[in-house]
Amino acid sequence: MFDFAELVNSVVEGDVSRAAELTRKALDTQISAKEILDNGLLPAMDRIGNSFEGGEIFLPELLMAGDAMKASIELLRPELAKKGASYAGRYAIGTVQGDLHDIGKNIVILMLEGNGWDVVDLGTDVSPEQFCDVIKKSDFDILGLSALLTFTMPMMAETINNLKEAGLRNKVKVMIGGAPVTPSFADQIGADAYARDAVEAVALAKSLLNK
Amino acid sequence: MQSLTNLERMMKAISRQEPDTIPTFEIDIDERIMEAIKPGLSYEDFCEYMDLDAVCYHETRTDQYEVVDEAKKLVRDQWGAIKQYTGVSLSIPVTREVAIKSKKDLDTYTIPDPDRPGRFKRQEEAVKRFKGKKAIIATVRPFATIKDSLRGQDDLFKDMIRDPDMVDRLSQIVSDYYLRYTKNLIDVGVDIVMETADWAFTHGPMVAPKHTARFIIPGLKEIAQYCHSRGIPCLKHTDGNLWAIFDLIVETGVDGVHPIDPLAGMDLGEAKAKYGDKVCLMGNVDCGNLLSWGSKEEVREAVKDCIRKAGKGGGYICMSSNSIHGAVNPENYVEMVRAIREYGKYPLSLS
Repeated sequence: MFDFAELVNSVVEGDVSRAAELTRKALDTQISAKEILDNGLLPAMDRIGNSFEGGEIFLPELLMAGDAMKASIELLRPELAKKGASYAGRYAIGTVQGDLHDIGKNIVILMLEGNGWDVVDLGTDVSPEQFCDVIKKSDFDILGLSALLTFTMPMMAETINNLKEAGLRNKVKVMIGGAPVTPSFADQIGADAYARDAVEAVALAKSLLNK
Repeated sequence: MQSLTNLERMMKAISRQEPDTIPTFEIDIDERIMEAIKPGLSYEDFCEYMDLDAVCYHETRTDQYEVVDEAKKLVRDQWGAIKQYTGVSLSIPVTREVAIKSKKDLDTYTIPDPDRPGRFKRQEEAVKRFKGKKAIIATVRPFATIKDSLRGQDDLFKDMIRDPDMVDRLSQIVSDYYLRYTKNLIDVGVDIVMETADWAFTHGPMVAPKHTARFIIPGLKEIAQYCHSRGIPCLKHTDGNLWAIFDLIVETGVDGVHPIDPLAGMDLGEAKAKYGDKVCLMGNVDCGNLLSWGSKEEVREAVKDCIRKAGKGGGYICMSSNSIHGAVNPENYVEMVRAIREYGKYPLSLS
């Protein structure tokens, strides 16, 4: 009988080699990638997210846990790819043009991946045209826009406008976040949701899928 | 009270006494904002035009870069990191590739020379122009140098857990460098040294208080002690929510803390009540939303609010919550300075 608690702990503790070893072991005993995700990585990311939100762990612990989670996900990826429906959804995310901050964005990616999302990281300093191009060429459920600098926030509005002009606005939900961003700004620019932090981003992403 | 010079005003506030009026300056002012307010002025001219109480020289702005690729605006900083000029800031390049990618890189690493001739040209010119009149501030950034130039933030943070020895070695490199660099700044005639590495973000400290204490605090403490041995105040800047590490910062002996970031939930009144008897508080006028998109009236109200919360008894420098960046409405910045001058006179008239 596979011990999921052990896998959860290895991810939470950021033990990369142990997380990979246990994931291999689970796959060898014919446990599906979906089960490993649901019973191993998801509870681990919940614990990490809550501990991070509660100020019990910080970026070093979060990044180490992220590495352990990625090591496990990499092993699950071939099977997840075969059964595309196993993903919670597809999420494209980037920091808007003129802004190179990525800590917040990377935490959101970590939490989404740990919660079973297929995430494509578009990086930092992404122009409205680049965002549009990605949405045009591929199917994503949600587009996440991040900004830390006040003066790059208008790029969020511009990206949404570009999506509208390109006739792509109804193709994807748009979530925004970042230190200076507010719920009223999200309303003002016509975003679908504003996430205060990574934990909220995961919950909102899930609820947006059901809308 | 007899009118003080800008320098005297700053020094009184930093030593937690009441000056004639609450001082103001900025750790950085975007060229576009200066140009919009008064075209054609140099940074120094602008500080005089606005009657700011200090001029502040960023290490990253006074540093020299070797051009790597002119078309791509890529440069190499003195630590060996590849950086790029982008639209984010016209004068401070951002890191694209760090210098130390492995322990092997560290074994063969050559520390830059803090005594390099010409290194302090701008500070020397500032001393000639402002000494005894305006406070001349120079910044240092040991932790940020490890994070941004030497190791990169993700690897640095992970090293704190997986390879603490690596972080200790990196810390020693920057510590040796910055002590000599600080000595040079003070020898040149700088009045105040300010450490400007961000240690926190909106959510809280970047690393656990135990890691902050082990890996980050010693570098600042060493610089603060050295400054004090030379009779110079040392200030600390860090954005973010500092409550969990504020005690650690104060224990380093720094004389002031900037910018008591309101967007990260830092309340100036609470900071004044808890730490106003130990350090000078600086900043707190929201440059995120308010100075960018607020009305002039809202800016005046925010300044009044800050003065009410922290002005009493001195020990407060009223300024923005980070810097006057490119999105700040120039009129709002002018209004902020005007309001500080109007409402910041001691004895304070605001209840």
